[in-house]
Amino acid sequence: MESKETKLDDTQQVTTKSPSGFSIIWREIVRDKIALVSLILLVLITGFVYGISLFLNQEEIVTVDLFAIHEPPGEDFLLGTDYGGRDIFGQLIIGTRNSLSIGILVTLMTGVIGVLYGLVSGYFGGTIDNIMMRIVDFFLILPFLMVVIVFVAIVPKYSVLSFSLIMTTFLWMGIARLIRSKALQEKELDYAQASKTLGSSNLKIMLTQVLPNLSSLIIVTMTLNLAANIGLESGLSFLGFGFPESTPSLGTLLSYARNPQTLEYRWWIWVPAAILILVLMLSVNNVGQALKRATDARQRRG
Amino acid sequence: MWKFIVRRLFITLPQVLLLSVLIFLMAQMMPGDALSGLIDPNIDPAAIEKQRETLGLNNPWYIQYTDWITGALQGDLGQSFRYKMPVTELVEQRLINTFWLSVATLIITYIIAIPLGITSGRYNDSWADQLITGYTYIGFATPLFIFALVMLWVFGYQLGWFPTSGSVAPGLTPGSFDYVLSKIQHLLLPAISMALITTVNTVQYLRSEIIDTKQKDFIITARAKGASESRVYNRHILRNSLLPIAAFFGFEITGLIGGTVFVENIFGYPGMGDLFIQSILLRDYSVVTTVVLLFGIASILGALISDIILSLVDPRIRIK
Amino acid sequence: MAFLKVEDLKVHFPIRGGLFNRKIGAIKAVDGVSFEIEQGKTYGLVGESGSGKTTTGRAIVGLNDITEGKVTYEGDELNKKGKAIDPRRDIQMIFQDPYSSLNPKKRVLDIIAEPLRNYEKLSRQEEKNRVHELLEQVGLSPESILKYPHEFSGGQRQRIGVARAIALKPKLIIADEPVSALDVSVQAQVLNFMQDIQKELNLTYLFISHDLGIVKHMCDEIGIMYKGRYVESGTKQDIFNNPQHIYTKRLVAAIPDIDPKKREEKKQFRQEVQTEYEQSYNDYFDNEGLAYGLQSVSDTHLVALPEKG
Repeated sequence: MESKETKLDDTQQVTTKSPSGFSIIWREIVRDKIALVSLILLVLITGFVYGISLFLNQEEIVTVDLFAIHEPPGEDFLLGTDYGGRDIFGQLIIGTRNSLSIGILVTLMTGVIGVLYGLVSGYFGGTIDNIMMRIVDFFLILPFLMVVIVFVAIVPKYSVLSFSLIMTTFLWMGIARLIRSKALQEKELDYAQASKTLGSSNLKIMLTQVLPNLSSLIIVTMTLNLAANIGLESGLSFLGFGFPESTPSLGTLLSYARNPQTLEYRWWIWVPAAILILVLMLSVNNVGQALKRATDARQRRG
Repeated sequence: MWKFIVRRLFITLPQVLLLSVLIFLMAQMMPGDALSGLIDPNIDPAAIEKQRETLGLNNPWYIQYTDWITGALQGDLGQSFRYKMPVTELVEQRLINTFWLSVATLIITYIIAIPLGITSGRYNDSWADQLITGYTYIGFATPLFIFALVMLWVFGYQLGWFPTSGSVAPGLTPGSFDYVLSKIQHLLLPAISMALITTVNTVQYLRSEIIDTKQKDFIITARAKGASESRVYNRHILRNSLLPIAAFFGFEITGLIGGTVFVENIFGYPGMGDLFIQSILLRDYSVVTTVVLLFGIASILGALISDIILSLVDPRIRIK
Repeated sequence: MAFLKVEDLKVHFPIRGGLFNRKIGAIKAVDGVSFEIEQGKTYGLVGESGSGKTTTGRAIVGLNDITEGKVTYEGDELNKKGKAIDPRRDIQMIFQDPYSSLNPKKRVLDIIAEPLRNYEKLSRQEEKNRVHELLEQVGLSPESILKYPHEFSGGQRQRIGVARAIALKPKLIIADEPVSALDVSVQAQVLNFMQDIQKELNLTYLFISHDLGIVKHMCDEIGIMYKGRYVESGTKQDIFNNPQHIYTKRLVAAIPDIDPKKREEKKQFRQEVQTEYEQSYNDYFDNEGLAYGLQSVSDTHLVALPEKG
């Protein structure tokens, strides 16, 4: 992999081959023990949850069984049952899968919208940027949680899809703002200017020249957003405005704890879900922070 | 200076207007209207129709909007059809409760953030810094509602140190010392729970701000002049790092609003957040609209105040 | 018909302010610049930083908007919308900083092929062959085609920049301080190589620089800019042997000379210039410290002096 010396005379100052973006990121994660553990944990949980859920029957799990209400953990039910006699363990697995899936879905959708919006705003600058950023400002001052809850409550034919669309509508601004400020800097660099003199269209420069240089920022932001979105979804489900009733979620399991009896005496219903959310969010955050350090040379650990 | 404030106000007014339009449209989309809950189903549909006509419910949306907004400006936000009382009256007590909860949370947030941030920034990479950074990591990742549940479980139920719901013990006369004490007691656990989570951002910000300032040339100059270490910190570094933090409280309002929804719900604290959730569940939409409108305006004003303070503190932020 | 003709070019940047962000003033980066370039020649544009020389070059390639004035290339006015032929492909630019002018995320192949992909429909193989040719032309090994910019030295990067600029076989190249970001040891190589390529492809250069030594080496004609205006223009001989404006004289006096025998002579010249500068500054600059309009001294030589009488 050594770079070959070229035949030129002005090669004395050939810079040593600096590692590519992904190997830096990989090195940073491996070096950072906490991040490495988090990553492994994350892969294990994800694999386990998606794997097991293939063998579980969601309908069977959410079916009420009046003969097994509030069973403590035991042989029949690994983690006991809830007020409807439903198996907590099964709900936990499927709930984690659902929470993860919707977290990823919302992160991707907000990512695509935010990146494109920020790119256009920052690249063109001037009046366009001004107008586009005023719109972002407006969305940012909305009381996010309440507006989402209102929409969840009034949307007819509420489903998982409409839930993720509502969340996306009010969550794309953060990444848009970030990308915009970076695009504003990038487009002034000579390589973007050079592209103009070489006859590339604005669209082409945005997508093929500027965008690749924002990739590390995008990856970091989306990872951190994923953690936040998992938290938001479970929070909304906790309040009863997340997933529809028939779809288990980690937040739904936690919402049973709003009943003081459950909170005080039936820990098996909500503690495992709480721990799972915590572990998930901590892991995703740790990986995100390690990525952030990897992309910021000043913070790199080694 | 005044120029900046005027320019900033020019942005604020359309924001408020847009917010009110959005909320109005949301209210229009809500199923049913003021009459569907009020009127006996046995009444002749033609009479309902007539009633609708007189109430202006058949007018085009922009006329209805104008009616609504003029009413709102005069303090008439409609009737709660569940509680059968004007929304303004219903909201008043709740608003006061939430106000005190927010104030307590903000105070505790800064009480925690400032010493931790300063310690962490001043002695960065010491064991204390690592401990604090660890806390901010965990605090950053922990959803508020889980933390609040655990706090309620531990301090409310297991240890029994704090009441587990309400905003005041029943049977006390308002204004008496016991009454105030009971209020504070009810307020403390939710406020601490919320503050412990929301403070981590401020701690992190303060830490990195101090570490950044520490390496600036003017600090090196101050040291070179022979200023003592405490003088360097108190006069130079803290002045530069603390003022922006102080200004952030306006931005915190947006976060607090989300927080109160969870915390009031979990601790059964009768504030706006709790009212909001209940009204949604009861489909008491005139109340919902009012709460969203008030909170929306609160966060617009919060951002406005913060921007103005920040511009006083840091001339670079002013929009030219 | 001149090859490239710049007439009374003005580039102003608005200063915004006030309550409604209206335009309240303008920075006159380029304020009435005119010159002509003949085909196959090298025209040097010299000035200190902020003198507007780079902005002039950027306005010609279309990176800055022209506020007023006209740029004509082979008789066609540039920057006019709705024209059938795009003279842009005939005019290319070499950038000052070889580190930021190459996209760090692109391979050399993609960097050099970018203009080809925009203007010529080539098959993959043809494109690759073309890039190989270009790399050979600028003296880089064709194996570098799949490498990234960070794997090259500054001089090599600037060669990649040149390869990209000549890919469309342009006629005019605007070289914006092409060597000032390079090590002195590499500067001469790149300059000589630029001259070789000029002969080979019959290129015309607009060479922007603040280094009079380099300009003397490269250019046939020279224009000297100060605060957005011309102070003097003429052939190389006019400028170096017979500088008329005090600003030019000071620049010429500041060129170091390595011949020790001339040391005394140079020192004396510098002192003369310094005295003249101190005594007669006001004869050369107006109240705002800007240069006057140009007067001709000879057929080729123009100097900014106050109008006589």
